[in-house]
Amino acid sequence: MIDFPPGLLLILGALPVPFLRGWLRGIWMLALPVAAFALLYSLPDGNHFQIAAFGQELELLRVDALSRVFGYVFIIAIFLGVIYSLHVRAVEEHVSGLIYAGAAIGAVFVGDLVSLFVYWELTAIASVFLILARRTPEALAASMRYLIIQVGSGVLLLAGLIVRWHETGSIEFGHIGIDGAGGVLILLAFGIKAAFPLLHNWLQDAYPQATPTGTVLLSAFTTKLAIYALARGYAGTEELIWIGVTMTAFPIFFAVIENDLRKVLAYSLNNQLGFMVVGVGIGTELALNGAAAHAFTHIIYKSLLFMSMGAVLHRVGTTLATELGGLYKTMPFTTVFCIIGGASISAFPLFSGFVSKSMILSAAAHEGYYFTWLVLLFASAGVFHHSGIKIPFFAFFAHDSGKRPKEAPLNMLIAMGLASILCIGIGVWPSALYAILPFEVDFVPYTDSHVLSQVQLLFFSALAFTVLMRTGLYPPELRCTNLDTDWLYRRVGRAVLRNITKTAGAIQARFYGAVNRRGQRFLVQLYRHHGPHGVLARTWPTGSMVLWVALLLFAYLFLYFIDIF
Amino acid sequence: MTDHPETEVPMAAPDERPRWLDSKANVTKVAWALYIVCAIAVLFDFVIHRHGDTGFDETFGFYAAYGFVGSVLLVLVARHILRRIVMRPEDYYDD
Amino acid sequence: MLAQHLPALQVVIPLLAAPLCALFRRGFIGWLIAVAANWLAFAASIGLLIRVLNEGVISYAMGGWAPPIGIEYRVDLINVFVLLVVSGVGAVIIPFARTGTAARFNDTDQAWFYTMYLLALTGLLGVTITGDAFNIFVFLEISSLASYVMIAMGRDRRALTAAYQYLIMGTVGATFIVIGIGLLWAMTGTLNLADLAQRIPEINDTRPVLAALAFLTVGISLKLALFPLHLWLPNAYAYAPAVTSAFLAGTATKVAIYLFLRFFYTVFGGGGFFSSTPLPEMFLVLSIVAMFAASTVALFQDDVKRMFAYSSVAQIGFITLGISFVTEAGLTAAMTHLFNHAIMKAGIFMLLGGVMFRLASVKLEDMAGIGRKMPFTMGGIVILGLGLIGTPGTSGFISKWWIVLAALEKDQWWLVALILVASLITMLYVGRIVEVAYFREPSAKAASVREAPLAMLIPAYVLVAATIYFGLDTNWSVGLAQQAAADLLAGLY
Repeated sequence: MIDFPPGLLLILGALPVPFLRGWLRGIWMLALPVAAFALLYSLPDGNHFQIAAFGQELELLRVDALSRVFGYVFIIAIFLGVIYSLHVRAVEEHVSGLIYAGAAIGAVFVGDLVSLFVYWELTAIASVFLILARRTPEALAASMRYLIIQVGSGVLLLAGLIVRWHETGSIEFGHIGIDGAGGVLILLAFGIKAAFPLLHNWLQDAYPQATPTGTVLLSAFTTKLAIYALARGYAGTEELIWIGVTMTAFPIFFAVIENDLRKVLAYSLNNQLGFMVVGVGIGTELALNGAAAHAFTHIIYKSLLFMSMGAVLHRVGTTLATELGGLYKTMPFTTVFCIIGGASISAFPLFSGFVSKSMILSAAAHEGYYFTWLVLLFASAGVFHHSGIKIPFFAFFAHDSGKRPKEAPLNMLIAMGLASILCIGIGVWPSALYAILPFEVDFVPYTDSHVLSQVQLLFFSALAFTVLMRTGLYPPELRCTNLDTDWLYRRVGRAVLRNITKTAGAIQARFYGAVNRRGQRFLVQLYRHHGPHGVLARTWPTGSMVLWVALLLFAYLFLYFIDIF
Repeated sequence: MTDHPETEVPMAAPDERPRWLDSKANVTKVAWALYIVCAIAVLFDFVIHRHGDTGFDETFGFYAAYGFVGSVLLVLVARHILRRIVMRPEDYYDD
Repeated sequence: MLAQHLPALQVVIPLLAAPLCALFRRGFIGWLIAVAANWLAFAASIGLLIRVLNEGVISYAMGGWAPPIGIEYRVDLINVFVLLVVSGVGAVIIPFARTGTAARFNDTDQAWFYTMYLLALTGLLGVTITGDAFNIFVFLEISSLASYVMIAMGRDRRALTAAYQYLIMGTVGATFIVIGIGLLWAMTGTLNLADLAQRIPEINDTRPVLAALAFLTVGISLKLALFPLHLWLPNAYAYAPAVTSAFLAGTATKVAIYLFLRFFYTVFGGGGFFSSTPLPEMFLVLSIVAMFAASTVALFQDDVKRMFAYSSVAQIGFITLGISFVTEAGLTAAMTHLFNHAIMKAGIFMLLGGVMFRLASVKLEDMAGIGRKMPFTMGGIVILGLGLIGTPGTSGFISKWWIVLAALEKDQWWLVALILVASLITMLYVGRIVEVAYFREPSAKAASVREAPLAMLIPAYVLVAATIYFGLDTNWSVGLAQQAAADLLAGLY
C-alpha cells in the first residue's frame, strides 16, 4: 500500500506523455488509470497525505465511502476516455485530458477547501484545451466563454473559502450549509459547475464545440465533481430540491427543439444533474445513496452517448440532426451502443439508469415531496423522449440522408463496448454498485411494481413520440440557433460593453483633449517665459505628465493643509 | 459546427439494396407492435398490484397516462411556445 | 572584520566595479566584473540579513564619522529585505545579459553598458541602505542617470524618446524629493533619517513639514509609477533592451516603494501619523484605478513588452493598495507582493528578451504559434503569467491571498470583489498570449525560429523556479515581510 493521491498520479503521469510515441504512449496512458484504480483499491479509509503550504495543513487524500464512489467512477471514465481517444494524434489533447481527469480525481479526495480550490481551477484550465483542440473559430470563442465562467466559479470558491475561514477559523471541507456568507458564496461556485438553472449555459455552449473525444471527458468530470462537492457540503439543504427540480424540467424543452445532437445531449446532461441535485437536497441516506449511484451510472452512460455521437462526428463531420439519418446501415455497432446508452439514461429496467434513478424518486416520495416526485417523473418520461429516442432515431434512422460513413474506428468501438457492458452489468447486477455506496443500502429496485410502473411510463412516452411523428405534429428538425441564457452575454452584454467602451472612449478622448489643450497652452505660456525649458512643452506626453505632477502636488498640498485648519 | 471529416463521407450507391426498415409498410408494423406492447403493459395493471408511495399513483393506468400526456405536452409546448421565443437563424451570433 | 563593513561593501563593491568595466573596454571582461560585483553584492545582502536577524538594527558610520554629522548607513529588516530583492534580482539577470548584449553591441558599448548597469545597481542599493536623506537624493540621481543610458541603448529608435521622458520625469521626481528633504532639513536641522524620525513627529502639523510631505508624496509617487504618474513607465520598459526592462521592473519601482514606506512610516512616525492624513484614502483610490485602468490598457496592447509594462503599473497598484490599509496584514501583503512581483516580472522580461533575441519582435501577431517553436521560453512565460494572475502554487497566489485577507480584516467586501475582478482581467491578457502562442498557425517570422539559447533560459528559469518555490514555501517571503510590517507600523528604525 502506497499513500499517494491517485489524482496526482494521473497528473504527474501525464507529463511524460509528450515524449512517448506510438503504442508506447497508448500503453502508458492506459496503465495510468489502471494504476490509479489499484492504488485507490488498496487504500483504507482515512486521511493519508498531508502537506503544509500557505501556512495551512492541507489534506490531500481523505478516503471515505463518498469520495471512494466518485473516485472509482472517475477512474473508470478516464480509462474509457483514453481507449476512446487512442487514435488521436494531437498530444495536447491527451495531456490535458489526463491532467483534467487527475485534477477531478484529486479534488474528490481533498479534505480542505484550499486544496479543493486548487484542483477546482486546474480542472477548468486543463479542460479548456479539450475545446480549443477542435481548432475552429467557434470553438475558440466558446472556449474563452467557458474558461471565464469556470475560472469565475473558482474565484467565487476562493472568495467563499476565505470568508468562511474568517467566519469559522477552519478550512475543512465538510458540511458547509448556507448559514454564513461564505457558505452561500461556495454554493454559488459549486452551482456554476453543477449547471444550476441560469448558471447552466456554459455547458450547452461549450460541450458541443469540443473535439469528439474531448466532449466525452468533459461530460464525465466537471459537473459530477460539482455534484460530489454539493453532496459533501450541502446534503439536506432543502433549497437544492427546488433548484434540482427546475434543472430536471426546463432543459428537456430545449432538448426537444435542438438540432445539434451533441447539444441535445448537453441539455439532457443538465437534466440528469437535476436528479442528483434533488437527491442531495433531500439528504436522507437513501437520497444521498441515490445521488451517488446516479452520478456513477450517469457518468458511464453519458460518456457512452457522447462517444456514439463523437463517432458520428468523427466519421460524418457533423452532428446536426438535419444532416444525419440512416446511418445504422453502415454504423451498426455504433447504433447498438447508442441505443444501449439511450436505454440506460431512460432508466429501462435491466439498464444502469434504472437502479440508480429509482432510488432518488423513491426517496422523494418517501419524504413526502409529491410535487417534486411528479416533476421528476415527467422529466424521466421527457429524457427518454429526447435522449432515448430522439438521439438514436435522428442519427441512425429517420429520414435516410444517403450518407454511408465507415463504422467507427476499432478503439472507439472497444470503448463503447466496454461502457455498454458496464451499463447492462450494473443494470442486471446492481448489488456491486450498491456495495460501494456511502450508506448501507436496503433498497430493492426490481419489484414487480417498480418494473411495471417504469415500463408503462416509458412505453407510453414512446407511444406519444410515435403518434406525434406519424401525425406530423412532431416539430421538424430545423437548422437554427436557440437562445438560452448565453444570449445575455453573447448579445446583450456585448452590445452594452461595446456602447460603454465607445462612450467611454469618446469621453476620455474629449477629456484628455481638453486637458491637453489647456495644459499645453498653460505650459507653453509657462515655459515660453522661462526660456530654456521650452522644449518640455513640445512633446505633449512629457508635458501632460508634468501637468499631472503639478496637479497632484496641488492636490496633496491642499489636502494636507485642509487638515490643520 | 461542421468539421471536415478525415475523408469525404461516402454516399449511398444508386443500386443499393433496400433494407427492411426502408419500406413504409414495415415501419407501420413496428408502430403496431408498439401499440400492442403498450396495451399489454396497461393490462398488466390487473395482474400486478402496484404499490405507490404517494397513494394516487396506484390508480389504474396512472403511469401510462402520465407518460403519454407528459410527453405530448412536452413536445407541443417546446414546438409552439419555446421555439417561438428562442428560435433564431443559425448564424445569429456570427458577425 | 569583513562582516563589520558589510554595509559599506554593499554599495562600494558595485561602485568600484563600475569604472573598472569602463577601463577594460572589453565586453567579456566587463561582464565578468559585473557578474562578480553583483554576486558579491548579493552575498553582502545575505550577510546583512543574517546580521540583522541576529543582532537587530545595524548602524554603520561611513568613513568613521559618527552620525548625525557623518553619513550613516542603517540596516534594519525593512531595507535588508529590499536589498535582497534588488541584489538578488540583479544577480540572476546579469548572467543572462551576456548573450543579448554581446550579439548587439561592440566591445566598448558592452563595457559601457555594464558600467551603467553597475552604477544603476549602486544607486538603488545606496538609496535603500543609506540613513541619510540627502544621500538618498544623490543615489537616486546616480541610478536615474545610469538607467537613462541603459534605456536609450534599446534597439528601437523610440527608446531614445522613452529614455528622454524617463530622464525628465525622474529628474522632476528627484527634484521634488530634494525639495521635500530640504524643507525637512530647514525645520529640523538634520538630514539623518533616525534623527528626523525623532524630531518630525513633534512638528508634523506645521505647514512647512506638510509641504515637505506633499513634495515627497508626489516625488516618490512618480518614482514608483503610481497612477496617474505612471506615464513614463510603459515606453521605458517597452523599448529598452531586455536586460534593462527586467532589471528596472524588478528593482527600480520596488526601491521607490521602500522609500515611500521609509518616509511615511519611519520618518513621519509610525502608522498613526500616516492614517491621520488623507493619504490612505488617496492611495486606495489611485491603487484601484491603477489596477483596473492599467490592466485594461494592457489587455489591448499588441506589443507584449508594453502589455507587461502596463501590467507592472497595475501590479504596483496591488502593492500600494496593501500600503493604503495601514495594517500589519496590508503591509505584509505589500512587502510580499513587492518581493514576488519583482521575481515574476523580471523573469517575464527576461524570457521576452529571449523571444526578441530569436524573433526580433515581441509583437503579438509575430508571436503567433511560437509556443511550439520555443516551448521553454513560452512555458516559462505562461508559468510566470499564472503567477501574475495569482494562480495557486505560484507566489502570486500568496500575494493575492494576503491582500484579500487584509481587505477582509477591514471588512471591505467590495474591495475583495474588485481584487478578484482585477485578477480576472490579468487572466484575460495572459490568456491572450497563450491563445496566440499556442493556438495560431506560426507567423511567417515565427516559422523559422529556434528555442532561445540556454544562457538566457537558465537564468530566467531560476526566477520561474523561485516563483513556484515561494508559492509553496512562504517562510522567507511572508515571514520576513510580516516582521518588517510590524516594525514599520511601530515606527521602529
